[in-house]
Amino acid sequence: MLRRTILKLAAAAAVTVTASFATHAEVNGPVNYVIPFGPGGESDISARLQQPFFKDKFGQDLVISYQPGGGGAVGWASLNGLNGDGQTIMGINLPHIIIKPAQKDVGFTTDGINAFYMFHFTPDAIVVNASSPYKTLQDLIDDAKENPGAVTMSGSGKASANHLAQIKFDKMAGVKTTYVPFKGTGAAVTALLGDQVKAEWGYTTVGAKQGDAVRMLAVAMEERHPLFPDVPTFKELGFDMVGGAYRGIALPESASAETKKNWSEMIGEINKDPEFQQKMLDGGFALLDVDADGMSDFMKARVDEYLKDAREAGLIN
Amino acid sequence: MKKAPAIKSEANIGSLVISALFVIAGIVTLYDTTGYSDIDSKVFPRTVAIVLIICATIAFITNFLKPTDTGGFGSGIWWRRITLVVTMLLACFAMPYVGFLPAGAIAFAGGLVAAMHDQWSMKTFLLYGGSGAVVMIAFFALFKYALLVPLP
Amino acid sequence: MDLGNFISALTPLNIALALFGVVAGTIIGSIPGLTATMAVAVLVPITFSMEPASALILLGAIYTGAIYGGAYAAILLNTPGTPSAIATTFDGYPMAKRGDGDLAVALACFASVFGGLIGALALLFLAPPLSNVALAFGPIEYFWLSIFGLSLIASLSTGNLMKGLVGGAFGMILSTVGVAEISADIRLTFGSQTMIGGFGVVGALIGLYCIPVLIDLVAVPDRHLKVEDDIRSVRIGEAARIAMKAKFNLVRSSIIGTLVGILPGAGGSVAGLVAYSEAKRSAKPGQKFGEGEPDGIMATEAANNATVGGGFVPTLVLGIPGTPPDAVILGALLIQGVRTGPTLFQSGGSIVYTFIYGLIIATLLMLPAGLLIGRYAYKSIVTIPKAVLVPTVGFMTIIGTFAIRNSISDVVIMIVLGVFGWVVGRFGFAASPIVLGLILGPIAEQGFVQSWTIGAATNNLFGMFFGRPISQAIVAFTLLSLFYPAFSAWRQRRARSSMEAKS
Repeated sequence: MLRRTILKLAAAAAVTVTASFATHAEVNGPVNYVIPFGPGGESDISARLQQPFFKDKFGQDLVISYQPGGGGAVGWASLNGLNGDGQTIMGINLPHIIIKPAQKDVGFTTDGINAFYMFHFTPDAIVVNASSPYKTLQDLIDDAKENPGAVTMSGSGKASANHLAQIKFDKMAGVKTTYVPFKGTGAAVTALLGDQVKAEWGYTTVGAKQGDAVRMLAVAMEERHPLFPDVPTFKELGFDMVGGAYRGIALPESASAETKKNWSEMIGEINKDPEFQQKMLDGGFALLDVDADGMSDFMKARVDEYLKDAREAGLIN
Repeated sequence: MKKAPAIKSEANIGSLVISALFVIAGIVTLYDTTGYSDIDSKVFPRTVAIVLIICATIAFITNFLKPTDTGGFGSGIWWRRITLVVTMLLACFAMPYVGFLPAGAIAFAGGLVAAMHDQWSMKTFLLYGGSGAVVMIAFFALFKYALLVPLP
Repeated sequence: MDLGNFISALTPLNIALALFGVVAGTIIGSIPGLTATMAVAVLVPITFSMEPASALILLGAIYTGAIYGGAYAAILLNTPGTPSAIATTFDGYPMAKRGDGDLAVALACFASVFGGLIGALALLFLAPPLSNVALAFGPIEYFWLSIFGLSLIASLSTGNLMKGLVGGAFGMILSTVGVAEISADIRLTFGSQTMIGGFGVVGALIGLYCIPVLIDLVAVPDRHLKVEDDIRSVRIGEAARIAMKAKFNLVRSSIIGTLVGILPGAGGSVAGLVAYSEAKRSAKPGQKFGEGEPDGIMATEAANNATVGGGFVPTLVLGIPGTPPDAVILGALLIQGVRTGPTLFQSGGSIVYTFIYGLIIATLLMLPAGLLIGRYAYKSIVTIPKAVLVPTVGFMTIIGTFAIRNSISDVVIMIVLGVFGWVVGRFGFAASPIVLGLILGPIAEQGFVQSWTIGAATNNLFGMFFGRPISQAIVAFTLLSLFYPAFSAWRQRRARSSMEAKS
């Protein structure tokens, strides 16, 4: 215990010296980074990737804590009750924060979330087991056409990015597949690997993590992902699907405009770091830069888009 | 001729009341499920609620027919129990206003008073109060600074 | 798997990390409300500057220490320090009440070390084939597994079968409160914002187990635990002898623990429960499970520490975390750039093998460290005057519950649940079925709904629920556990009456 304390003190001392040279020395002390999900998911991983870079650049610890429940609802409902001094931030996810409040009263509203940066998204992708008979997307579509409802696809949660993607794609391709919800991407992948389902609606991160054990049939991006040059995009195959789950960070409502701007710049700086970018890409993430200034336009476009999709999918009225 | 066992013992009434309450809980659950939009969310609660109602009813009937004498609230001292629970709850409600340590001190003091069966003396007062303060501060520091939990 | 990895596991740094991890983990695990997940999560940033293998050894050591540490509170305060120790309360607390608390703690240590070693060895030699077992478990198997767990609860509530089932069902209903995972409906919150988070397992655990104990302690002037006049130190020898005699129980429980640990999402609580039930079923005449039977503690503690090694199988081989601490460790690994998968055991070999050897070393170190800490814990709990013990534990429950989700309302819920648990406990409705129902409820629900969806989609509903070999085996076990007690009682009565008839 003593050794640890001494090490910590030494580190703190060293860091304070260097931090005084940093231009963003607004953060006083360790930051509480709340992830409204359990550990191990994409939100957790992307936050963990930010941790060392934040420490490096701004000299403070990002302390990650978990507040799972209700698919994120518990965390977001508590956001605006937290301290707005800039020492507490929370991860946010699209489409969750748009669709959930639209369905029912979950304790928060989309507009009430004070987002200041969207720093990545995980593009939707259809993933199959490496041993699956589906070699191309067309194989899956053919099977679904011949056997409506028999093609089972796992995904994370209901009324989530995966679910929405499944509904949207079914419409576009004119087929009927069956969506089987699981608790988190991890469980959905397990089901796929165990051949419990025929395919999975996941993200490119699944392909990156599982490597040769799976095969991705298509990704919902504008261009092919650098990590997977052989996997076609939905657009190439004739389906106008680009999107996935977006992730970003928010502050409590009570935070000042200056704090918000400050945080936006800090996260933006991490996002520009080529080493960070490489780590994210290696993990299968796709990068995005929407800062505090561009946030309201971005959110408005997404809200329109998601609500329209959700309405057509019958998830909301 | 042996007298029939009295069904009015405290243990028995308590069992019956609680079984009945569980049946009501099951009914409430069933009622709540009617408000769900997705059929998937109804299946499980309904099944379990029905199981609950059946089992609680059987427990009620068995207890009625074969009354037990074990159980009951026992011979404990009530004001002590109440003090313990009430001070803990008070501490929770006070926490947003006075902060964690003072609120914790309220709970600690309550527990101390409730558990102290021997006579109070200056020595014990200082010793227990002092060690309590040490414990609270130690835990507070551990959680707030080592584990970085944002205690109010 | 060459000796080089073993040597690198033996560096002074790694040994120091292992020892530190085990000690820190044991202390953290013994405090109700502090979970292994929390401890591991906080220390992850420190590992960034370490070698991947050293980081893993530290995190793994904390994890295994915490699972062992949960037994202290279970035995001495009837409160599982972690959910894995729930079944340890069944025989641990009775043993403590009759003065055998130090023996119980020593037994828990031996059993935990044994179980942990078996789990780690399974990881070392059998990881790739075991991961296939993990994959063979689909939604339906999880569903039947949770039903099996509930049948165990019922059969363990001897004499109070109905009340046990009522508790279990009620616990399952409590688990549905809040936002449903599978459908985004909000259930049983009655419009209250605080209830959207539902009942967390750890908070409910503390409330239902610990608060009733405190309420009872303040009510009577007696000492908390019987204390012998001299705290004998020879009990370690006694414990070792008992452990040696229970070899079969230890091996069987460790295997059960390893297998359950392999299943992502199952966890130490299920492992302990299954192992306990099996030990009870094969009890020799004269053994009184539930009243302070050493075999009971050894079964649960061996099983829950075996889940540590077992849980790493899917984590390292498939990249799918077996338990929440595994998820955090997986995250730490990914940041270090370590790629999980079968290749990890071949090409990335040295990291994994060094880690496993380190885990084995940490588990071995847990024996002396655990026994020492255990004796100290026992002495302090037993000698501290009740007047200080009660408020200290009360304070700990408040701070521990708060720390789970940084929520004061969680603490209030915990206290209310505690009073509720005390009241119903007084009339025959024990806490364990309710807590286990709370834990198993989500598993049962998700398994059921997913199996239904898949079965309906493939027009194979019956086959889905009853046609798969593993599910059939689990269903068979369920029926066995439900009817075996009645069956063996019937057989005993027949034997007795035929003997009487002869005489």
